[in-house]
Amino acid sequence: MTELNDIKNLLQVHGYITEDNVAMSVFLSLELNKPLLVEGPAGVGKTEIAKVMAHALKTDLIRLQCYEGLDTTHAIYEWNYQRQLLHLKMVEHNGQPVEEKEKTIFNDSFLMKRPLLQAITYHKRPVLLIDEIDRSDEEFESFLLEVLSDWQVTVPEIGTIKATHIPLVILTGNRTRELSEALRRRCLYLYIDYPGFEKEWMIVKNKVPGIDSKLAEQITHFMQQLRVIKLEKTPGIAETIDWAMALSALHIDHLDKNIIEQTLGVVIKDWRDTRQVQLSLSELMEKTGVYSRL
Amino acid sequence: MISRQTSLSKNIVQFCRFLRLKGFTVAIDEEALSLQALQLIDYSSNKTFLLALKAILCRSEAHLNEFNNLFEEYWKELEKATDAKEKKETNQRPIPPQQATAFKSLKAWLHGNKNSETEETATYSPQESLSQRDFSLVPEDELEELMQNIKALAKRLAAKTNRRHETTHTMKEPDLRKTLRKNLRRGGELLEIIHQRPKRNRVKLILLCDVSKSMELYSSFLLQFMYAFQQVYARMETFIFSTTIRRITPFLKKQNFREAMQLLGGENSGLSGGTKIGESLHTFLEEYGKLIDKKTIVIILSDGWDTGNITKMEKSMESIHRKAKRIIWLNPLAGYATYRPETAGMLAAMPFISVFAAGHNAESLKRLGKWL
Repeated sequence: MTELNDIKNLLQVHGYITEDNVAMSVFLSLELNKPLLVEGPAGVGKTEIAKVMAHALKTDLIRLQCYEGLDTTHAIYEWNYQRQLLHLKMVEHNGQPVEEKEKTIFNDSFLMKRPLLQAITYHKRPVLLIDEIDRSDEEFESFLLEVLSDWQVTVPEIGTIKATHIPLVILTGNRTRELSEALRRRCLYLYIDYPGFEKEWMIVKNKVPGIDSKLAEQITHFMQQLRVIKLEKTPGIAETIDWAMALSALHIDHLDKNIIEQTLGVVIKDWRDTRQVQLSLSELMEKTGVYSRL
Repeated sequence: MISRQTSLSKNIVQFCRFLRLKGFTVAIDEEALSLQALQLIDYSSNKTFLLALKAILCRSEAHLNEFNNLFEEYWKELEKATDAKEKKETNQRPIPPQQATAFKSLKAWLHGNKNSETEETATYSPQESLSQRDFSLVPEDELEELMQNIKALAKRLAAKTNRRHETTHTMKEPDLRKTLRKNLRRGGELLEIIHQRPKRNRVKLILLCDVSKSMELYSSFLLQFMYAFQQVYARMETFIFSTTIRRITPFLKKQNFREAMQLLGGENSGLSGGTKIGESLHTFLEEYGKLIDKKTIVIILSDGWDTGNITKMEKSMESIHRKAKRIIWLNPLAGYATYRPETAGMLAAMPFISVFAAGHNAESLKRLGKWL
């Protein structure tokens, strides 16, 4: 049995710095075999949890990216029609009755496993990431229910396929649409928000090992202030790390107005935001404690 | 409600019941899970205990935000109840009433009142193109362009296709799966080919239009808007409201705009009176609530000046929010740069709105297409 602290350490060792609530949710999800629904703003490391956990558990990550119109043939299974047709051609003149032929083409070798079926029939316990579930439509949510609560998939031609191992399931969402109560009830819920200064600072130092300590501090301060302004697209941790990496690669050891202006594109991805930040740059820098060298 | 329980498991079950009273959806499954979790964690640590229960019993961000307080409230009350046990065996302790909601609406009310007199007046500049201008000032002869815009928007909405497919009898792309299944009976020779086409979007629209006194400026635009939309988009219901709500879909389906307006004029004698959005929405839900499903987008056209019951408004909005795919609130005032949605009505409605936008000129209408 894994212990709560083991999970926290595992996450930490694999470069995911986090609070106790995340560790607790992941731990319970693992131990109780419940899917974990993670919501929160973009770029706070929701998807990263799944990746890190796959690493930490030394298993594989199976990923299902959701989009509007995603259906069972792309998420669960599909028959390989071309192969079925070829097979039928091959056995055309062997005098088998039609029923027999039908049976031969509806078996495992003609079944193409899509992520969900793949995950429950995997040879070891995998991590299944269902990314951006809120982008799929309600119909798809209903398909998911069978998989997530009974850990089985029903294929009409074959019957019910039961899970060999129950995967660690992580669903992520950006709240572009409210998820159904039925789905929520099958999951444990976790909300990840933007990190506080201490946490973000640690993440930066951890992810960009060669970074100048002072620069890391300045970057984190700046990002924290940036999130206070109302922007169209508030930058997440992912942007902080990108920026830190970029500046570190440029061998810069402190922020100043020029550098910020030149590299702003790493952090801000919307032209209105860019303009707004440029206009309030001096004020921002003052709050951050960064002064241009004059 | 909170009485002393002797064992931890009993307390957890009772805590779950307590949460249910507070609007959490905690069923027997979750109670069982919590008890299961206790075997996995070190529950002598208060923090670990709280985190575990939190992870299991919360279903949304709102739950997470509330949980710590409720947890504390429950266990504190429990301690008191434990002390009182010496005197009385079954001590039923009332939970202190939640004052937060009452306070919130009071604050909102104060806010709303402060601003109710400072309505900014529309300004006019002749250089502005139609698409930038306020509808309240659109002269008759330019209404044509406006109508075109609305029509284009509604048409796009009607033609929006889904990524799923449905079977069709006309020659389109073949549906391999169905074709194969059908032809298997004949030994796999493909004699009959089944076709499919992209499924049409089945979005339903419900338009709720405020026709009270404060919206009078925009009346001609509103009528045009409702009429054009209803003409082009079939899966739509239109309602108007001021102090009460009325369904006007059949009038708008008339062929001729003037005829429709005449009928409407008789029906709705003038744009006037105060607004009771809450009451109107409440009646709407009671009488037509079944119209809303998860494929329905509810568009509310109103400035949010409400003279009615705010809690009713909040409740009704929440209920619509739960039923519908999305709520879009078009507020003509939102077109002004200085506008802030601070009226009591708007504040109460805000949490349930997916898209809050200006609906005051052709430009903003074009943008509306993005959200539908």
